[in-house]
Amino acid sequence: MTVETSRRSFLKFLPLAAVFASIGGAAFRFLRPKLSAATNAWLDVASVSELTGPQPISRKIAAEQITGWAITTEEHNVFVLPAKNNQVVSAICPHEGCEVAWEQNRNRFSCPCHESYFAADGSRISGPAQRGLDPLPARVQDGKLQVQYISKEQATRA
Amino acid sequence: MRSDNSLSAWLQTTTGIVAVLLAVQFLTGVLLAFYYVPSVDHAYTTVSYIEKVVSSGSWIRSLHHYGSQWLTIFVFIHVIRLFLDRAYAANRIQWIVAILLLGLVMAAGGTGYSLPWDARAFFSTRVAEGLMAGLPIAGGMARLWLLGGSEISGVTLSRFFALHVLVIPAVIGAVAVWRMFRAQIVEFLGPRDAIVGALVFLVLALWALKHPAPFGPSVVEAGADYLPRPGAQFLWLYQSLKYIPGGLGSIVGVVLPGIVLAVLVALPWLKRQRLIAGSLLGAGVVLVVIMTTASYLSDRRDPRTAQQFARQAAAEEAWRHQPFNPATITLAATTNVTGGAPVMYTKYCANCHGTQGQGAQQGPLKFPPLLDVSAKPRRSVDDIVSLLKDPAAYGLQPPMRSFSEKLTEEQMREIAEWIVKLRK
Repeated sequence: MTVETSRRSFLKFLPLAAVFASIGGAAFRFLRPKLSAATNAWLDVASVSELTGPQPISRKIAAEQITGWAITTEEHNVFVLPAKNNQVVSAICPHEGCEVAWEQNRNRFSCPCHESYFAADGSRISGPAQRGLDPLPARVQDGKLQVQYISKEQATRA
Repeated sequence: MRSDNSLSAWLQTTTGIVAVLLAVQFLTGVLLAFYYVPSVDHAYTTVSYIEKVVSSGSWIRSLHHYGSQWLTIFVFIHVIRLFLDRAYAANRIQWIVAILLLGLVMAAGGTGYSLPWDARAFFSTRVAEGLMAGLPIAGGMARLWLLGGSEISGVTLSRFFALHVLVIPAVIGAVAVWRMFRAQIVEFLGPRDAIVGALVFLVLALWALKHPAPFGPSVVEAGADYLPRPGAQFLWLYQSLKYIPGGLGSIVGVVLPGIVLAVLVALPWLKRQRLIAGSLLGAGVVLVVIMTTASYLSDRRDPRTAQQFARQAAAEEAWRHQPFNPATITLAATTNVTGGAPVMYTKYCANCHGTQGQGAQQGPLKFPPLLDVSAKPRRSVDDIVSLLKDPAAYGLQPPMRSFSEKLTEEQMREIAEWIVKLRK
């Protein structure tokens, strides 16, 4: 193939390149991710009166997020720490996002994935996690303990 | 075959137009699949999301919608052009590929209409169902296979989706690749093809900017006066079905086109019957043109129909200006989400029966889950309260023990009321 013919065969596809470029440009806008909006609602965790004793108490909260084409209500595990003035921590391990469990007999939280351990007050003991369990903003309203849900990524950025 | 610098050379660029429009369908289809969900409870919402929220979404969907109609029309013109060029004798593969493409793009359009699951889609699915059911001999079976069951359901939508985005595009791709390998890509598309293909795309792109793809009301919201109309490539069939009684519609809409396509595919080997095949193609062209025109005219002339279309267009326009209405998805247990387990349960029971009643294993000991326990005999709220006081009376063995000294009656009742709500 001479230089002349290869230039011709290149030029010949130029109109087609324009077609694909216009769709490609739109495709980039089309596929661009949309950040989800958290609703920041205060969610009931428990009545303050039932939160007693030295053990962390496991609870579930259902937080709403506007994600893509749906309002998604997702359940999240949290722990209330009555021994630490009813602080509420997320059960999501700050390392890679697995859910920690409370080991009553060893008095610690353990992550089933990569063996991070946390003390009863949520602080880091050992393992690959770089910080303690993430505390959630909490308040008491009409005798109910309430929290706002914060994802691990939000807590990492903060 | 190509003569240079003459009008006929430009008329031969239908290959390029078809190739460009096919590529547009593939690309826009892949993009739509990034958001679309083929389920009866989310299809409508996800298409609305594409139309209202996603950047360029309305344009991409309109390209795909009108592109499918333009593609069918240009494949049709392509077939006529090849017939007039006697391509069936000179280039068998080119001819056969063109006929197969015609059938395949019609099938792609037919299955695609159901996917948005708006009222239009629902009627289109109904018509497809009726056309299958009316087939001679195997009609009942064909209908069941199309629907995936005895009624239109989520299974039907999945079938149309699988055919539309997996099966048919794969066959079209295989046919196109076969065609391209027979003629190398450089010869397959000449410079004129590229220019004309790009021009057609430019017009389609501008059209799609101005005209969003139609989107009817959801199946639930559509009133009894809603008038559905198929896309341009199916108007001939739609109009023909008005004139043909009952099951004969399936003959005209499915069997006859099938026979015509089969005869046309076989045309390269039919030396003597070319006149017959040519007449069939000619009759097909005349039928399609007349019926399509008749369909447009009858909708224009009837004032009540015109009024209803105006109402529907106004409703659709109003819908486009309403904010997007998201679906709700719950990824949470239905029981007692915010309250969780009673504190006394967590304190005394959770170690063995699990924090959510899921059961547990400690060494050799297996503790039974409590999920669905209320379905068992003698496990009402009252039974569970009595059981907590005296497990042996309910046939339970240690390590299950009595809690009558640790828990108050009220606490036991709270635990029992929580346990009976536990579900798998």
